[in-house]
Amino acid sequence: MAYYLGIDIGSSTSKGIITRDGKTVAEHLLISGINYRETAEKLRRELLDKAGLSPEDIACTVATGHGAGNAAYADQQVTDTRGCARGINSIFPEARTIIDIQAQSSQIIRVNERGQVTNFVASEKCAAGSGRFLEVIANVLQIDLSEIGALSLKSKSPISFTTSCAVFGESEAISRVAEGIPKEDILAGVHRALADKIDALIGRVGLEEKCAVSGGGGMDTGLIKTLEENLRTKLLVPPRPRMVTARGAAILAQDINERGAAAENKQERISRGSLGGEL
Amino acid sequence: MTEKTMTDRRYFAGLDLGSTMTKVIIVNDNEKVLARVESHTGAEHRRLANKVMEEALQQAKIPFDAVTYIVATGYGRINVPFADRQITELTCHARGVASFFPKVRTALDIGGQDAKGLKLDAGGKLVNFVMNDRCAAGTGRFLEVIAKMLGIPLEDLGSLSLKSKNKVNISSTCTIFAQQEVNGRLSEGAPIEDIVAGIHDAIARRAVAILKRLKIEPEIVFTGGVAKNIGVVKAVGENLGREVLVPADPLISGALGAGLLGKEIAAKARAEGKSLPKAERRLAEATFFT
Repeated sequence: MAYYLGIDIGSSTSKGIITRDGKTVAEHLLISGINYRETAEKLRRELLDKAGLSPEDIACTVATGHGAGNAAYADQQVTDTRGCARGINSIFPEARTIIDIQAQSSQIIRVNERGQVTNFVASEKCAAGSGRFLEVIANVLQIDLSEIGALSLKSKSPISFTTSCAVFGESEAISRVAEGIPKEDILAGVHRALADKIDALIGRVGLEEKCAVSGGGGMDTGLIKTLEENLRTKLLVPPRPRMVTARGAAILAQDINERGAAAENKQERISRGSLGGEL
Repeated sequence: MTEKTMTDRRYFAGLDLGSTMTKVIIVNDNEKVLARVESHTGAEHRRLANKVMEEALQQAKIPFDAVTYIVATGYGRINVPFADRQITELTCHARGVASFFPKVRTALDIGGQDAKGLKLDAGGKLVNFVMNDRCAAGTGRFLEVIAKMLGIPLEDLGSLSLKSKNKVNISSTCTIFAQQEVNGRLSEGAPIEDIVAGIHDAIARRAVAILKRLKIEPEIVFTGGVAKNIGVVKAVGENLGREVLVPADPLISGALGAGLLGKEIAAKARAEGKSLPKAERRLAEATFFT
């Protein structure tokens, strides 16, 4: 049984997973930093160490994400849309819509029962539609990203932002802090603003149940709750939302390898057949 | 000067409460500018528009009650307790730029938090406009954020960028993503002037995109605080493929327009034999925003 490697070089974090027969053998996460190429190398090295494997043990490697091109050792690159769809499908085969909230972009993916992308729409030009907006406001409030979810759930009256721009939103948050508005109300306000952006995106491709989330945004319990209220549906949340796309890449590596093997077999049969014909 | 002409002398004030700067102009019946004051609107000064007004009155050497008519414009115009009337900044800007450049047909105004494209007819009247006040990119805020990040005073950006021989391309629209791009270029060792020139080009591209939604006709005039930046003026000209005119003081077109419109309103009332509808004025703090 072969090992497969999925690598997701994101704008904020880089993730790697080794799978064997669809099951996770080892996974690893690093901050992407400014040198993606170095990060991609380090990620594979440390991941192989964790799994006790050497590069030769990996039958096929697929890289995805914003900086996929920096994983020079990958056999193939796929888009993060495809990686994410395949990853969610392996965890929640019943999911037909995915809300993928990343550090610098968001996407809504429609997916079929085989984990193939049937439609998608991405928001990547504006920070207000991504986790980055939360980061900007968390920075104003001087709280850690990991605290956002629990704190925001305490909010009784979320503020509403008059702007949909993260830069103007930052100024608004500063004004609200000066007025003595509790942090949780400001955070809950950001969740509402983000959920509105996501709603607008969903409007462009439609929502078919069930709906799953992925990406770093999936770790924010406050955001999940706001999205669920807005969409009036229960969301499927994977145990480690940030690892979904890397997982999808590893599964695609297996798909590609097996298809490759199948094609080789086919090629072999054809050659034999033609040879047989001559004989 | 007889006592009669003294009492007959009329003064008009235009007050432009922008998101970043508060501007006050006082003109007389001959459209002569008697006072011109520009002051930071900043969070703590927001309520002090009356102080800026007082400074202008001192400059013009007239008492508050001598002002015939006061028109307020700009982002914070609504709750000024000493204005007789509020007029939108679009109308005031159009009037202001037409007074600087009578042949203007297209005007670009980039302020601290918005960017506007204005279309004027042969009479200097506003006939169409396009505006961005929803996204920091393409506004003065974009420059402020980058200047702060680079540790360069805002007013030095223009001259610095003129030294650039090879501007970097900033592809992100979003201010926050552009900041990251700037960081990336810095770590690659790009000269700071090339980065600043790239930033100016990015804001100019957004401005030209706004103008292109109107039918661009010469003359083209560029006003607002961002027009004080020679690098942006140059980049706007390059992106448009033709030169843009910039008034000597690009910040005051709105306030000047407000003052001149006040004068016209008063003249019209006089010609029609009607009394000028004035507000009950108090030279007190403005209640900015609700």
